[in-house]
Amino acid sequence: MSDFRDIVDTEGLDPEEEARLRRVHELLVRAGPPPDLPPSLERTPEAAEAEIVQFPLLPKRRWAAAALIAAALALIAFGGGYLLGDSHGGTSSFAVERIVPMHGSGDSQGFIKISSRDSVGNWPMELEVSGLPKQAQRQAYYELWLTRGHKPVELCGAFRVHGDSTKVRFSVPYDLRGIDGWVVTAQPEGTREPGPVVMTT
Amino acid sequence: MTSDGELIQRAATGDRSAFEDLYRRYARPVFGLALRRLGDRGRAEDAVQETFASIWRSASSYRPDRGPGAPWLYAVARNAIVDRARARTEIPADIPDEAGTEPGPPEQAEQGWVAWRVHRALEELPEREREVIALAYWSGLSQSEVAEFLGIPLGTVKTRTRAALQRLAELLGDEEGI
Repeated sequence: MSDFRDIVDTEGLDPEEEARLRRVHELLVRAGPPPDLPPSLERTPEAAEAEIVQFPLLPKRRWAAAALIAAALALIAFGGGYLLGDSHGGTSSFAVERIVPMHGSGDSQGFIKISSRDSVGNWPMELEVSGLPKQAQRQAYYELWLTRGHKPVELCGAFRVHGDSTKVRFSVPYDLRGIDGWVVTAQPEGTREPGPVVMTT
Repeated sequence: MTSDGELIQRAATGDRSAFEDLYRRYARPVFGLALRRLGDRGRAEDAVQETFASIWRSASSYRPDRGPGAPWLYAVARNAIVDRARARTEIPADIPDEAGTEPGPPEQAEQGWVAWRVHRALEELPEREREVIALAYWSGLSQSEVAEFLGIPLGTVKTRTRAALQRLAELLGDEEGI
């Protein structure tokens, strides 16, 4: 490592300014070089999200199929929502490629961790939300939807919440072209259509 | 320049551009801290993701009257990195609790904080200034060799180096006693 005077031209500097730059020099020496960011971290979450929506994937599922999945997942949610939702589960086996933040009314916040596409074309993802109210109706639940034109078009899955924070994993095969975000909707008992949006990206 | 604290407060309201600015400023310092403590690039990458998820999730807990944003971000990063270490049932990395006041080896604590602040400040330099700093400090090149490497006059290297240090002095300001 070179000396301060080997690196910094001090000609014309008053003693006070030279001392100030010398202090910076010492900090640079102590800090050492910053690491090179790996490619996976060079994109911000915002930029990563924009990229996701351009990925060509499988053909879009139709609304009826989504509704069928919704019904099936709702059944699971009724009987086993606590199995799906996990406020304490680890994430060690989930390789996160991107994170998309979500926000909602009140204190509700969340994010979607997206893993890489698997060999058959599914996108594993994990939704973690906090601040969503626990629904009083036993057959009410929340749904995560992909949006197009800011309207829910593809269902990712259903879940119930418990505790302060809930994690739910999904895997979806949808074509993400034209998709512009995600929303969480509240689904009252007996509702098949997307309910009111309570969180959005 | 918008302060870190202001960006955290805006992120707390769902402002994603503020969150993106925080990411741009701190991705490298967080990665450096994680790499230093976890010793593995893959795990450090995961820790960066976790850190920024935590920042987004907990930004509303930041209180500007309790201090500037950088120490708060440092604490969030530290917690995320420790959590990452614990998640693998390994011995938690020894990370200082907060800047300058934590128990434990004081040299290590200060080293982590200094690197955090300096690497954060480097992100604000124009590319041409950051380039000469990197070459002058961490490549082992002399000023003349830097000039030759970049194909610019020696005087330009000196000017850029001094300008970079002056800019860093302003960025680091009172927090580093400059």
